[in-house]
Parts: sequence; structure tokens; C-alpha cells
Amino acid sequence: MSTLELIGLTKRFSGRPVVNDVSLSVADGEFVCILGPSGCGKSTTLRMIGGFEEATQGDVRIDGASVLDLPPNRRPTAMVFQKYTLWPHMRVAENIAFGLGLRGLPRTEIEREVKQSLALVGLSGYDRRYPAQLSGGEQQRVALARALVLKPKLLLLDEPFSNLDALLRVRLREELHAIQRRIQITAVFVTHDQEEALSLADRIAVMNAGRLEQLDTPDQIYARPRTLFVADFIGQMNLLPATLEDGRLRLGRHVLPAPERLPGNMPLTVAVRPEDLAVVAPNRETDPGTLWQARIDQAIDLGHYRKILAFAPGLFVDAQAAGTVRLKIYAPKHFNAREGDPLWLRPDRYLVYPGGMAPIEIRQPLVAADHSASAIVM
Amino acid sequence: MTTRPIAPKTTNTVWPQRLKDHVLPYLLVAPPILLMTLLIFLPAGQAIVETVWIDGAVTVAEYIKFFQSPILTANLWFTFWITLATVGLLFVIGLPLSLYLRFARGRIAAAVQMLALFPLFVPGVILAYALIRAIGPHGLFDTLLHQIGIDGYVSPYLKPQGILIALVWQEIPFTVLVLTAGLRQVEDTMIESARDVGASDWQTFWRIIFPLIQRALVIVFSLNVIGTFGAFTIPYLLGPAQPMMMGVSMQQTFNNYMDRTGALTQAVLTFAFCAAVGVLYVRTVTRSPEGRP
Repeated sequence: MSTLELIGLTKRFSGRPVVNDVSLSVADGEFVCILGPSGCGKSTTLRMIGGFEEATQGDVRIDGASVLDLPPNRRPTAMVFQKYTLWPHMRVAENIAFGLGLRGLPRTEIEREVKQSLALVGLSGYDRRYPAQLSGGEQQRVALARALVLKPKLLLLDEPFSNLDALLRVRLREELHAIQRRIQITAVFVTHDQEEALSLADRIAVMNAGRLEQLDTPDQIYARPRTLFVADFIGQMNLLPATLEDGRLRLGRHVLPAPERLPGNMPLTVAVRPEDLAVVAPNRETDPGTLWQARIDQAIDLGHYRKILAFAPGLFVDAQAAGTVRLKIYAPKHFNAREGDPLWLRPDRYLVYPGGMAPIEIRQPLVAADHSASAIVM
Repeated sequence: MTTRPIAPKTTNTVWPQRLKDHVLPYLLVAPPILLMTLLIFLPAGQAIVETVWIDGAVTVAEYIKFFQSPILTANLWFTFWITLATVGLLFVIGLPLSLYLRFARGRIAAAVQMLALFPLFVPGVILAYALIRAIGPHGLFDTLLHQIGIDGYVSPYLKPQGILIALVWQEIPFTVLVLTAGLRQVEDTMIESARDVGASDWQTFWRIIFPLIQRALVIVFSLNVIGTFGAFTIPYLLGPAQPMMMGVSMQQTFNNYMDRTGALTQAVLTFAFCAAVGVLYVRTVTRSPEGRP
């Protein structure tokens, strides 16, 4: 049983809040990713949990007990850092055994634990090597073994894979996921890589400018981002300014059904995922007023699907936006798209953000139109 | 896409290239090698020859004479002791100071750093006279003590302590510079990792930081030993008349006793000791930074 609670956690550096009133709880065995752009306070939050930064306000509780007064060496946490994590003058086995030695464990037990933890991270037989003889990925695996061998209540990971190349990053991510599931350790993982967060986490905490924007499961974060920041930061999103007019949403020359009970006099933003924009061939049954006319600017082949960037000047009142903002659309690989081709689009599902409030989701009933390219592909 | 063909090598580019690869490096190292040969190796070799080739025969008589003289051997031992004490004190003062400068932030740390580096800009002879005025008999310190009613101040001037104080003061900047540079190579995460797995401050220092700054420690040790062992100005101006440090002893033997061979013998012995420490220095700086593959 190991839980973590952050209560109103705040850190100010010379008066400037870097982490601002962050509260969240992590359940036993849960894997939570703190995700955000650089400088959002995610690493500082993690360092406050580990004891490397002092909290200005708030509390950090592990299993219900505050650990704020404990220095890092007395907290039941273990951290894997981004780089320069291993001690270069010690062999792999010595690196892992260091913490056990400090705890006064007998030598035979230390040797057994070191062997077990090396096996856990798939590096059996590496015990006599020096860190400089290991690749970046191997070094991070040793760092993970060194953290896990102490059987901490809480595993903290500060962008441990961000210095590795893309392929290795994915492999280590999968290995970490498997290890975490196997030993059921409670873990907090900090990353700026949303793909990493979406694939690893039970829940994701999205941070921006020191604040916690949303704490939710990956699918909810993707499907219903609670703030415009999260909507823009996670995945691809088309964000379009809108106004309320006669109970309908107006986007430039186009209208869309508006949610009920929408507060008036408020800047609205309509958010549409690229996969929710259906490419439609207009026919007699479709109402041409509801379709957005666009012109293909660029079609990018992304392996199993195509990403299309298109101008849709009719959606904007602002002339500059009409000429610069491009809609992002996903289309199947066989979709024939050439630069300059016209395109008709219809948002099947969108979110309406009234001011700074939580979004309202709208699904448009499918019409009997020819969805030539409506397959949702990611 | 077509690639532009690489221009074929013409013969006239080959010679300058060869000149650059095979002649230029030698031209660049020639002046220092020439200077070292003319000003150090030749005189040193000549001095060694002069001390062992006397009246047309090889002899170690001069060395026997040196080691049989109680005054000269006392000087040698005195120099050893002063060197050991100076270097020891430099570590005792310099290491905590460097650790503080490595980990402290803010204005106080910046001020401490400035103060620690200040002696770098003070020539030894000026330092010696400043110290005489400050801690010498009837100096500033003595007067202040007298003012507050404390008498019987024993000045370190013309005592071994005088040399010690001045040499330590003079060598602190170099010691702190090299040690902080070494400490800055120890990444924060290595120290934080140690704290994270449960190491106390002392354990972190002893098991992680200390082994990782060994190179800087050896550099500080060897260069301070060489500098102190061969010191002249400060021991000459602040030290006792007897025993004296080797630098002063050489000068006395040469000028006052007009004993050129005797002075050379002392110089060869001093040089031999410093060269031995120099080997330690060279071996350390040419080793890979972490000492291991």
C-alpha cells in the first residue's frame, strides 16, 4: 500500500510561483505522468516530492504521512534522473549496491539483490562494467535498477528517456511499463513527450505555467481536454474562434449547432480533432451551408494515413487568420489529395469552450452523405 | 535529385596540404622545445655534470658533503616540513572553501569567491611587506592587541609560522580555482542520486565527491608542493635565519659563501624532488578524466 497526495503544493522562486497550488492524489500501484511544456513546473513538482526542492506551501503525503520535513535520503522515494545519473567511478554492481550498503545489509544479501535487480532490467552479467562502458539506454536501465533495488514506496522518474534516440525511447518505455506492472510500484513520471505519457500512464496530470490543468485518464484527456491549453497541447487540434448568434455558433460564414444553455457574451472557441473532420463529397442530400469549403495547401504522407493541411478562409472573420491558419485533417492513405484541390469538410464531433470554462461536446448526426474519406485514422 | 560531382583533386593542392600536415606541427612546437632545451635542460644537465665531475673525475663528494652538514640537512628537513604543513593547510582551508563556493548561491558566495581569489593579484614581495606591517612586531595586530590591554604578542615574523601564513595566503586562490573547477565537473544529479539512495552529507562527500575530484586534488597537491618547495621571496623576507628553506639556502651558499658547486648541489637535490612530484602531476593530467575506461 503506497499512495501519494499533493495538497496545494506551491513553490516560489524569489516570489515568482513556479508550481502553483497543485493538488493531486496517486493511488497504490498507479502510474501517473506529469506532462507539460518545458518550464511548466513539472520537474520542480517531482523534485519537491523527492525532497530536492523545498515546498513554499502545501504538503506532500506518502501513505497519509507528511514527508515535508524529511531530507531526500530519508524519504521513501527513489528517483531516476534525466542524465549523468550513474557514478562514473563505480562499477554497475557498486552503483546498485551503494544504497543497500548504506542500509547495512549483509554482503550476501546485497549481492543477491543486485543480481535480481539487474535481471529485472535485462542487464544480467553487466555488474563488472563501468558506466562509461554502457550505452545511454543501458545506463538508464542501471539507474532504474538502482532505484528499484531499494524497494521504495514511490518511484520518481524525471524525463529518464529524453536523452535517448527515438527507437530506444519507445523500447525502454515499454520495458518500464512492463516492470511497473509486474512489481506494482506506485510511480510518478515527468515528461514533455505526450506520446510517452499517453502510452505509459494510468492517469496524466497536464501542467501549464505552474498549474495543474487536468488530471485524467489518457483517453479522457484526449477526448475531452478540459482547458484550451490541454486541447492544444495534447494531440492535434483545430481551434476556431466563434460567436453565438441566434442560438447557433457562427464561424466566419459558417454556422454550427450550439450547445444549450451557453452563456452569452463570451469569447467561444470551437475545437475539432483532425480525425473528427470528415471529408465529404457534396450531393443533393447535403446542405451546402453546413459544409466547410477548404483548399488543400499541403498533403503529408505519414505511413498508414495522410495529414492534410488546408486553408478554409470562410471560417474566419479576421482576414489575417483566413490567410494563415490551416486546418489539420487526417485522411486515409488512398485519399487522392493534390495541392490546390478543393475540399468539403464537416465536423462530426467538436468541443465548445466558453471562455475559461469546461468544454461542451457536440456530436453532429451523420447525414447520408458520401463520406469519401471519413475513416478516423491515427 | 542529382548531386554535384566532387571537384577532382589537383596536384597543386597536395603540397600545401602535406606542408600543413607534416611541417607545420613541428614548426609550432619548435620554439617552446628550443626554449626549454636552452634555458632548462641544458643548464640543468650542466649543473648535474658540474656537481659530479670534479677535478676530472666522477664523484659524489659534494652530495656527501651536503648530507654530512647538519646545517644543510636541517635546511632540507625544514623545507620538507614547511612544504608539508603549507600543502596540508591549503587542503584544510581550500577544500571546505571550494565546496562552499561550488554549492552556495547568491551574493555572499560571490563575495567570498572574490576574497578567495584576491591574493592572485598581489605579488609575493608586496604580500611579504604587507604581512610584516600587519602581523610583525609593533605592527597593526600587535598595536590593536595592546590597545585592548593584551600584551606579550609573539609575532610570527622571522619564524616558520610567518612563512606558513604567507605561503598559504598566496596559494589559496590557485587551490580554490582548481578544486572548484574539479567540483563543478561533479554533476548535481550525481550528488542528488547519492542523497536519494540514502547517503548523508558526509557519505556523499566521501564516497561520491571525493573520488570524483581526485584529479583536481592531485593537481593541487603536486603544483603546491613544487611551488612551496622552491619558494624564495617569502621565506627570504619572512622566514628565520636558521634553519632556512632550500631557495634561501641556495642563495646564501652562492652569494655569501661563494660556493658555486655547493649551491648547484642543493639546486640539483631540489630539482630532483620537484621533478619526482612533477611526474605524478603529468601522469594525472594525461590520464582519462574518470581514470577508467
